Amino acid sequence: MQELLKELKVKIVEELQLEEVNPATLADDTPFFADGLGLDSVDLLVLVGIIDRDYGVGIFSREVGEKVLVNFSTLAAYIEKNRKRWRKAK
Amino acid sequence: MEKGKMNRPWLKQYERHVPHTIPYPAIPVHRWLLDTAAAHPDDVAISFNEIHFTYREMNDRVNRLAHAMQKMGVSKGDRIALFLVNTPTYVFGFFAAMKLGAVVVNLSVGIFGEELIRCLNESGAKMIVTLDLFAQGIYQVIGRTGLKAVILHSVYGIEKRMTFEEGVPRPLIYQELVETEDAAEPDERVLPEDDAVLQYTSGSTGSPKAAVLTHSNLVSSVLQGETWMGIRDTGNAAVMCVIPFFHVFGMSACLLSSVLKGYHMVLLPRMDLMDILSLMKSLETYKPVSFPAVPSLWAAMLSLPADETKRHLTTVRVPTSGGAPLPNWVQEKFHALTGRTIIEAYGLSEASSATHFCPFPSGGPLGSIGLPLPDTDAKIVDLENPVRECLPGEIGELVVKGPQIMKGYWNNPDLTSRVLKDGWFYTGDLGRMDQDGFFYLVDRKDDLIISSGFNIYPTEIEDVLKKHPKIKDAGVIGVPDRIKGMAIRAVVTLHEGMKGDKEEFMKFCRENMPEYRVPKSILIRGEIPRDPAGKMLRRILREEAQEG
Repeated sequence: MQELLKELKVKIVEELQLEEVNPATLADDTPFFADGLGLDSVDLLVLVGIIDRDYGVGIFSREVGEKVLVNFSTLAAYIEKNRKRWRKAK
Repeated sequence: MEKGKMNRPWLKQYERHVPHTIPYPAIPVHRWLLDTAAAHPDDVAISFNEIHFTYREMNDRVNRLAHAMQKMGVSKGDRIALFLVNTPTYVFGFFAAMKLGAVVVNLSVGIFGEELIRCLNESGAKMIVTLDLFAQGIYQVIGRTGLKAVILHSVYGIEKRMTFEEGVPRPLIYQELVETEDAAEPDERVLPEDDAVLQYTSGSTGSPKAAVLTHSNLVSSVLQGETWMGIRDTGNAAVMCVIPFFHVFGMSACLLSSVLKGYHMVLLPRMDLMDILSLMKSLETYKPVSFPAVPSLWAAMLSLPADETKRHLTTVRVPTSGGAPLPNWVQEKFHALTGRTIIEAYGLSEASSATHFCPFPSGGPLGSIGLPLPDTDAKIVDLENPVRECLPGEIGELVVKGPQIMKGYWNNPDLTSRVLKDGWFYTGDLGRMDQDGFFYLVDRKDDLIISSGFNIYPTEIEDVLKKHPKIKDAGVIGVPDRIKGMAIRAVVTLHEGMKGDKEEFMKFCRENMPEYRVPKSILIRGEIPRDPAGKMLRRILREEAQEG
């Protein structure tokens, strides 16, 4: 889980071109929106694409998004849980 | 080039179905609603979450709201502010105002505080139609405006938990207002030359300005776009209404075009960030024939898994993009996935919507904004000597003329005379035209930043930053962003002895400006480069950004 959290921080900062943000200083509970990373709805859609592309985990509904796209911890937990399920299915 | 000998090579590039000129009916824009409701009363007009309205129901609700407004004292020429995301209430409020000959003040829901006060007071709005979600922001400033009435669509009942100061108008609940009203057509004669919309747009001096659009402007603009596409026999096809109606692109391409053609408007309100996740589901459910969007939304959708994107977007026969230049990689990826081309358009609030479109369905050269629409003249003029028309390939200012161009800026004859000369509108965009008549944008005359389709002037952000007690000076520029076109970067200097961090200033920005204007990055520096006269040298800030 710690490895995944670290990877997500680097990935999100790089792919969403978050200038002046050092992934190493981000807390696991840094909010994605508002006073946290300040992502907007376009970033959110891009983030959903990244997660699907790199982990095979789809977050294509509002209901799931509200629970998962909160901070690094919630996202990592969801990926971890669903990636395992996906692997089993394979 | 001599006057009267304009070179119009673009006419040769028109698709076969597009005439050089169009007959424009002398009607007010709401006539289309009457016609469609009469011809196709049972077709679906609006879907919003699980709620659906037919064209008959839509017209009934518009009429009921118009009667309620009339009883509240609204008459021809009065300004009614709409402070709404894409909801049925926007649609009803817009057409109710039109039927009364009132003028819609089209406001972005992102504005608040002083900016909202300025827009309301400058427009002279006497009524505002909004959602309970936005009620608190409005009631914080209402005492400093001339608003006499507030119509509130109560979704969450938020108004029940609010307290109201003495002397301010209490909100009237939309649902209760329309319940008892008559659905007959209101009796008001509205002429094509009457004002229809005050379209607020950013201003380079930091204060917003409103383009006055007449019924005739709107009718012309929509007919130009529809003629350009030449789509027929689509019946009650769906249109994805994601871009806000309070933007001219959304008002024209989503709202008015749909009502003209009898399309089914699928509203995605974007009341919060998560609403965007409903988009893919809506695309799957409604399989829209038309999907107008801004480049950043196309870019974001094309960042989703290819299978997902392909499955959802192949039904879209008319994918259009406007508001900012479409990155080439987005066009190329879309084409590879769907075999279709996103039709790029260029327009401005002052032009009711578009002046240029790339040919449909073939598209234009990569990076082009397309060709001038029927009855639209366009030329590139010399920056130093604006009476000289540039030769193909030469860079100058893009100026446009046509029936869709605004009457002027509201109560601002000075600014109007600076941009409207002999019917030509000086856009402030720098561009060139090629030998075939395709136009390309290369830059702006001023420092406008276009981010995610929003027009943002640096001064709008700098003025806010300079109000922070620790900030001495601020400079704002746009830096390239793969998805958003441009991202906002602020550079600030602090007062002597002060210490501050980016998070603190970001928070301040969020509290004092609309979300879309909040910088993506804030850098703290020792000084902001200025020339001896004190003018900020943004060029140097941009060069520094390029150097990384």
